[in-house]
Amino acid sequence: MLLPRFDFHDPASVQEALDLKKTYRENARILAGGTDLLVHLKKDLVSVEHLISVTKIDELLKIEEKGGDITIGACVTMASLAASGLIGEKLPALKQGAQSLGNHLIRNKATIGGNACNASPAGDTLCALLIYDAAVILQNSEGAREVPVSDFFVGPGKSCINDDELLTGFRIAVPPAGSGADYIQLGKRKSSEINVVNVASYIEIDPANQNILNARIALGSVAPTPIRGAKAEQVLAGKTADDTVFFEAAEAARRDDCKPIDDFRGTAGYRQAMIGVLTRRTLAAALAQAQGK
Amino acid sequence: MKDFDVIRTRAHRLDTPDKATGKAVYVDDIDKPGMLYGALLQSPHAHANIISIDTSKAEALPGVKAVVTSKEAGSIKYGVSPARYDETVFAIDKVRYVGDEIAAVAAISLEIAQKAVALIEVEYEILPAVFTIEDAMKDGAPQLHEDFPKNLCAEVHHEFGDVEKALAESDIVKTTTVKNKRQDGACIEMQGCIAEFDRRGTLTLVSGTQVPHYVQRTVAMVLGMDIGKVRVKKPYVGAGFGIKASANPMELACCILARETNKPVKMNYTRDQVFKLARARHGFTHTITTGAKKDGTLMALKHECWLDGGAYSSFGIATVYYAGSLLGGPYKLPNMKYDGYRVYNNKPTCGAQRGHGAVIARATFEQQLDMIAGDLGMDPLELRVKNMMEAGDTTCNDLNMSSFGMAECIDAVRNGSGWDEKKGKMPNGKGIGMACGFFVSGAGYPIYRSDTYHGTVIVKLTEDGGTALVYTASAEIGQGSDTAFAMIAAEALGIPLENVRLESGDTDMGVDLGAYSSRQTLMTGHATKEAAEHAKAQVLEVLSGLLNVPVEEMDIKNGFIEFKNETPDITDIRTRYIKEHRGWIDNPDSEKLTFKEASRMAFLEKGSIVGTGKYKPHLLGGKFKGAAVGTSPAYGCSAQVAEVSVDVETGQITIERITDAHDCGKAINMTSVEGQMEGSVSMGIGEAMHEEVMFDDKGNVLNNDLAEYKIVTSMDMPQVDAVVVESDEPNGPFGAKEVGEGAIMPTIPAILNAVYDAIGVRVFELPLTPERVYWAIQEYQKKAG
Ligand SMILES: Cc1cc2nc3c(=O)[nH]c(=O)nc-3n(C[C@H](O)[C@H](O)[C@H](O)COP(=O)(O)OP(=O)(O)OC[C@H]3O[C@@H](n4cnc5c(N)ncnc54)[C@H](O)[C@@H]3O)c2cc1C
Repeated sequence: MLLPRFDFHDPASVQEALDLKKTYRENARILAGGTDLLVHLKKDLVSVEHLISVTKIDELLKIEEKGGDITIGACVTMASLAASGLIGEKLPALKQGAQSLGNHLIRNKATIGGNACNASPAGDTLCALLIYDAAVILQNSEGAREVPVSDFFVGPGKSCINDDELLTGFRIAVPPAGSGADYIQLGKRKSSEINVVNVASYIEIDPANQNILNARIALGSVAPTPIRGAKAEQVLAGKTADDTVFFEAAEAARRDDCKPIDDFRGTAGYRQAMIGVLTRRTLAAALAQAQGK
Repeated sequence: MKDFDVIRTRAHRLDTPDKATGKAVYVDDIDKPGMLYGALLQSPHAHANIISIDTSKAEALPGVKAVVTSKEAGSIKYGVSPARYDETVFAIDKVRYVGDEIAAVAAISLEIAQKAVALIEVEYEILPAVFTIEDAMKDGAPQLHEDFPKNLCAEVHHEFGDVEKALAESDIVKTTTVKNKRQDGACIEMQGCIAEFDRRGTLTLVSGTQVPHYVQRTVAMVLGMDIGKVRVKKPYVGAGFGIKASANPMELACCILARETNKPVKMNYTRDQVFKLARARHGFTHTITTGAKKDGTLMALKHECWLDGGAYSSFGIATVYYAGSLLGGPYKLPNMKYDGYRVYNNKPTCGAQRGHGAVIARATFEQQLDMIAGDLGMDPLELRVKNMMEAGDTTCNDLNMSSFGMAECIDAVRNGSGWDEKKGKMPNGKGIGMACGFFVSGAGYPIYRSDTYHGTVIVKLTEDGGTALVYTASAEIGQGSDTAFAMIAAEALGIPLENVRLESGDTDMGVDLGAYSSRQTLMTGHATKEAAEHAKAQVLEVLSGLLNVPVEEMDIKNGFIEFKNETPDITDIRTRYIKEHRGWIDNPDSEKLTFKEASRMAFLEKGSIVGTGKYKPHLLGGKFKGAAVGTSPAYGCSAQVAEVSVDVETGQITIERITDAHDCGKAINMTSVEGQMEGSVSMGIGEAMHEEVMFDDKGNVLNNDLAEYKIVTSMDMPQVDAVVVESDEPNGPFGAKEVGEGAIMPTIPAILNAVYDAIGVRVFELPLTPERVYWAIQEYQKKAG
């Protein structure tokens, strides 16, 4: 339980950080809030020679709206996300995710970039990133690339980020009027919880006839990565939004989309049942929001 | 009512300034010049023979100062109850659980010590292991301890009255089985210690313990030293809850390392090691049958209990007795039969935790009382009122309730919660439930058989006369005992609390059995009161001579001397006092003679004024085997009402509110009493709702940190309305008795009963995780069609 020895770097700019990453590659790790990494280092689950701290780089700390997009810097903390008026108004499910993560102390440290790179199937902001169809911005010393968040996660704790890359932020198209989203996480207690299951839903309706124009559902803790509920989304496509269709979508999510396992946090059977309940509840809340209720 | 000046107030705690400013010193804050760091090698296997241990590579690592195994530690057995000493400091030929200690290293840094531990080579012969009661009891199951066939560590069989006859005469008979899970104490401070020998061979062990006295005895016995050469001191301690109520193997290993190196050695448990040492609440399976008459009169209780004990005995012998004996109250119950069994297995050892042995028995029984009330169409609260004991009653197993404010407690929660308006009238998904309980104010007997005093206290007055110093070996572990004893000393001496200073937690200060079994307020409190009164008597005696007033006609109150009759002329004394203090700024100018002046006169006459006090309980309990367990000079009692809401689709329970009443006798410090009540509720909620130590199939703890082992967070805590009920306990100092453990008794069953009230589903297994509740609801709905 002792922190191992390492060299600590504190670059002032993205460029400087990328140069360090290029030099040390797999021998260096990015340190953001440290709420995952320091725990893993103490438990001897990862080994490093260099830690590159990125939390003082200004451009990674910004939340901005520009030309129909919202960009969120990788080092924005959960506390800042939850406190941001812009996020609360336009990406409410992300706010809910940030608010449910850990506890007050952790939320002051934990970053959204760290949450994504840690790639836990239970990660509290990841379902929201999925339903808002976020693009992940990855940069190396050569340049930047964007990856849809649905392609970013490749397994528990694994993403498609390369050794020489830094996640600098996320780009999310501002959801149109007539849309709504909701996130619910279910755990055993009310704080400092590792989710048993978590679900986010996004819905866009035609206000004239309540027809569903677009729906995205994301399921957490029921597969090796957070996943989209593809079958459930198919059920919704082109239908009129109401309790019956939500129930059918929830059934599809429960039956067809999730592949949970038994572990000491919960059984597969319970997780599956809860996916049904939470899918239905998040869809209903998203619809209410879309209708301006 | 007697009027008091210091006790029964909300005095600020003595430790508040230290703790609020972060200046309080705990073991890990202490460094000693030349100090070494120790680390333990613990078994990775649940059950194995040790073929060989090779420490040569570890010894060769630069910076390593000593590597010790059973060769250095010897084979003296120790434990909690002398009748069942079954542990050695290091495993000799066999390890019995993942975590069993094999060796220890002292080195110049913790990193080096840990590296050296990894270099110790142990050859094991893996043995088949057993992890459940069922497997451990099977024919041909692997044996943990040779002398205990079928791994049966202890059994208890008691019968009072004629249970079968009473059951036959009952109109209603209910049988249920309830199962809990092993707990962890989850003390915020993990155990740690520093051992050091001085040049004359005296060992000082500074340790985060609840029981300096028992640790001192165990260390002396295991190291083969005179008790007088072993001093155990306790700095501030971050809670115990029972887990720190006996010597642990790390303390002993640390002393041995200090002896081998002749240097101070510090050791700490990691959270993972805390889970391995365990010594917390057992896993219990209780089957209880209760018989009652149509009018609700309780007739008989038949009770069988199985304890999942783990690898060693620890407190287990007492636990298996407590699990039975503490159902004797708080209801009149003429017939009671108990069969209890504690079983060894290859998991960490369970011991004593807040509400020792009694919590799950209470949960099972109180849930059953509600079921009986339901069948009889009675309000469960009325059923309890009908059967409750009163002051002066004695249980069928000879426990005497010398004071008992049960009726006041039930009234308080009935009114406080709005029971009559809510019970039976809440919407689906919302419910209200209640339960009662009682607990000892200190075990009637020490853990080892002895006529010893359970506590001795010294009160010394400073030479200037102004301040009283209280020396006690009792253990302040966060519960507020230091403040309670300072208040008792101030009250007994008749001086303000500001004029009392207190030192505690050091075996050089006397004998005190420590902080367990909710004993200190009553027992150490008595000794403190006696010591203070002794000092006061000496002051008054000197004063009597000087003023020519009989002692009986004087008293000390609020720091002044009071005269029953005529006030004598005090000029001589004042002049003499002022002369003594020429140039000082605080010369008295009050009309009344001050305690300070009087006490200075006493010093001038007699030298140091030292009052001594002591306490041991009067002879308690019946004559049957095991009659000692459960006896106490006094019993606290309590009632609680829980209000919950249940999300029937997810199984999530929210506890909305707890109304809690506890009879603690006279409250020494009101705020501390409420603190204990609220703390008990939080621990009870954790146990009811979340807490469960989980294992893999190799005997490793799966959730060995506080992220995965879920205690209550502030977000889970409901509003708690704590109502302090004050009876006047004849056997308590100033009428005081316990609040530390009794207050947890009703929490779990009150929640279970409230959940039933909300959704009509009885749950018989803890904790009430959303998943468990969900499946219970599913099953209920399936049955209902
Ligand atoms: C007590 C506690 C409770 C928790 N509760 C929750 C919870 O409820 N829900 C939840 O989802 N999580 C929880 N976590 C986990 C953790 O807080 C989150 O995953 C958090 O978002 C991680 O962010 P961080 O900034 O601390 O990441 P760090 O620990 O700094 O980094 C995590 C990983 O991502 C990499 N990394 C970080 N930033 C970048 C970047 N910009 N580019 C490339 N790589 C990067 C690091 O190298 C590391 O591998 C909890 C943790 C603790 C200690």
